[in-house]
Amino acid sequence: MLERIIKAYNEAVFETDKEAAFEVINEAMAQGLTAEDVVFKVVIPAVEEMMADITRNPDANLAQHFMTAQIAAEVTERMLEKFKHPPEIIGRVVIGTAAGDLHSLGKRIVMGCLKALMVEVVDLGVNVPAEKFVDEAVAHDAQVIAVSAMMVHTATGENGCRKVREILCQRGLEEKIKIVVGGAPYRFDEALYKSVGADGWAADGITASRMIIGLIRVVKDGGGP
Amino acid sequence: MKRRPEASLTLRVRTATEECLLQVVPGTSVRDVLDTTKIRVRAACGGNGSCGACVVTWISGDVNAQTTAEYQRLQPAERAAGARLACQLRLQADSEIRIDDPAPPSAWTSIPANSLSAAPAGRPELQQHIYGLAVDLGTTHIRLSLWDRKQGRRIATRRGPNPQAIFGADILNRLASVIDRPERAEEVAHLARDAILHALRDILMRDVGEVRPMLAEIGEVFIVGNAAMLALLTSQGARELLDPENWAGRVNYQPKDPAAFQSKWLLPHATISLPDPVSGFIGSDLLADLVATRLIEGPPGSLLLDIGTNTEIALWDGTHLHITAVPGGPAFEGSGLRNGMAAEPGAIFRVRPNRDAWSLETIGGSPERGFCGSGLVDAVACLLASGQLKPSGRFASPTGDEGFCFDPGNPRTALHAQDIDTFQRAKAATAAAMAALLRQAGMGWNSVQRLCVCGAFGHTLDIAHAQAIGLLPPLPVEFIELAADASLAGCEMGLLHQDGLATFANMRNHIVAINLSQIWDYDDLYIDHLRLRPIQNQ
Ligand code: B12
Ligand code: FES
Repeated sequence: MLERIIKAYNEAVFETDKEAAFEVINEAMAQGLTAEDVVFKVVIPAVEEMMADITRNPDANLAQHFMTAQIAAEVTERMLEKFKHPPEIIGRVVIGTAAGDLHSLGKRIVMGCLKALMVEVVDLGVNVPAEKFVDEAVAHDAQVIAVSAMMVHTATGENGCRKVREILCQRGLEEKIKIVVGGAPYRFDEALYKSVGADGWAADGITASRMIIGLIRVVKDGGGP
Repeated sequence: MKRRPEASLTLRVRTATEECLLQVVPGTSVRDVLDTTKIRVRAACGGNGSCGACVVTWISGDVNAQTTAEYQRLQPAERAAGARLACQLRLQADSEIRIDDPAPPSAWTSIPANSLSAAPAGRPELQQHIYGLAVDLGTTHIRLSLWDRKQGRRIATRRGPNPQAIFGADILNRLASVIDRPERAEEVAHLARDAILHALRDILMRDVGEVRPMLAEIGEVFIVGNAAMLALLTSQGARELLDPENWAGRVNYQPKDPAAFQSKWLLPHATISLPDPVSGFIGSDLLADLVATRLIEGPPGSLLLDIGTNTEIALWDGTHLHITAVPGGPAFEGSGLRNGMAAEPGAIFRVRPNRDAWSLETIGGSPERGFCGSGLVDAVACLLASGQLKPSGRFASPTGDEGFCFDPGNPRTALHAQDIDTFQRAKAATAAAMAALLRQAGMGWNSVQRLCVCGAFGHTLDIAHAQAIGLLPPLPVEFIELAADASLAGCEMGLLHQDGLATFANMRNHIVAINLSQIWDYDDLYIDHLRLRPIQNQ
């Protein structure tokens, strides 16, 4: 039965058919699958499957990325309420779009993937000043600050990631908090993330979560990369 | 492979270095046709046969008899050898000509007559400096026309590239180029000003026959453009435009020192009129569209879409004009696609299934070099209809590294999965913006009675195809108008009006500007509209 559910769910996600995906999940619950099973045996493997698919074939389109993330996040959120024991959280991330930038979608996709993979995410919204990124990261004890920027000037400008790095450096937080970036400008220039002072970048939300989980582990293990 | 539109004749043109096929509407002079292309004949009059410069050699095909002007300007021996004046020559059947001594290459071509609007009434009260220039200063292209304002007569038009593009193809990069280097501001402003003056001189040389005296007779230059173009032209406010606070706020680009600004134009009697834009992200070019289409004189539920690098959308609900802007356009102008290109010779502008192959039509009938906006819409719609593309935007079977080739022999006719994704993003951004605007005005698609489509697609957009993939709403076709050059038309109306600036300023009073980043679920709408399917009624 599980195999059939997984197949039907993956197909729905692949075809970006949200209604169909939810139908599969509802049916699975009706047939007695536990919330834990839905998340760990259906949703997370689907996200991972999508990750593998993207590595094999970089042609997955925006709707597919979005649906994978969105469906996964929504299903996970709904299922978490039904969990018998709270699941173990991998780590915590604060995320927002850079100062001057109001493009929210990239950030949303990254959030969806992270949530589905059991990373806690604090959403700081759009047009976030650098100081706020750092203050909130400290307040929430986050291991990673994620800065999304869809425009060249907000990705490379002095008020975005560069400033976050400056503040982390001034406050001596560089070992405790890592910075990751993403958004269209970084996809055009794969070395850009370094020049703005980030520790990592990713081309899409699904690979982003893998990279972010890696950095969370680095911080938790108490060392630089 | 190639079809041609109904009711047009084919003209084959040879020069020493090239050859092309042109579609000619019967009745149009050969000079007028050539003026819209890169191969122009020499000319020094308005095409009335008086300068005798536009000599071509007729090779074959049925054409009109020689005119009196040709008897006067050409020697009998020349005429016997096939010499004709291009401005007098009219086709009666498919024909062929040769041009031995074409005009030197130029960035400027004429705008085809069929995309120009009817001339507004003249201003008989004008006593001096009766000429005027209307300028649509676009990010990518500049379009302009020279007028005899007294008679209300359009003397000639030109279209050419905005040379500021070397400082950034899109608005943001261009703004950034002067923010980083303030000393460059004057250079960037000069580029646009100089291009406009260059086009003006080209008109005076080729269509009037005298330059210097005419420059002194120009009484007004009326310029519309997006806020960034106006900021760059007047060398101010570039940094402010990057601040989200100013996107919906009123901005002012009237030159700080008007006298100094005017003197740079070297047109001693011309007033340079710059209607104010609506806000930081809605330019005066949109106001020109609104003036030209008379949107607010139409029924409530009139919608206007100006597709360009920045796509602007206006909705008239009977009381207010709801306006927004969305950066969805570049893909429709070919940017970001592997085989995308502007609507230039060799661009595939129409795709049709043809038994088990495809028929592709290109601009100028030249070999396929890539897809322009309308060709892209056709291509995607055809692939969707044939089941080769799924509504999700995925190809039914993998296309491999070559992509999907419409002409298997020509890699320039290929579309790749990534191109489809780029296209989906552009059409989703546009369609979702229209949906958001309608909702904001408390309306649905069924209350829309009129839709004017201006800008990038020109006149070649296949409306049924655009509807099938969800770029345009499923309205009855008679509700939809293609008004490609509306912003130039509105600019011309501003120029010819007694108080054009006031007409534009009044239009602003009806406007409610909406910043889509403040619509909380715009990104959901955007995702919903990625799917290749007709727009759903909300
Ligand atoms: C939708 C859109 C808008 C919407 C945004 C709505 C919203 N709520 O987000 C609206 C209409 C508001 C808008 C406004 C503007 N926009 Co806009 N917009 C777009 C558009 C069409 C899509 C952007 C998008 O959402 N992409 C979807 C994301 C999810 O795709 P993605 O990049 O593949 O995302 C993945 C990765 O980047 C990665 N990722 C993203 N973030 C992060 C973060 C981290 C930490 C990591 C690891 C990974 C990661 O994961 C994502 C998911 O897989 C693009 C053009 C395009 N076709 O892409 C222009 C575009 C981004 N916009 C542009 C511009 C110019 C503007 C405006 C200035 C236009 C104007 N004159 O008003 C304003 C600016 C507003 C502002 N201050 O931010 C330009 C930027 C050009 C440049 N040189 O930088 C673009 C590129 C269009 C263009 N070609 O001109 N825009
Ligand atoms: S005679 Fe033909 S253009 Fe002057």
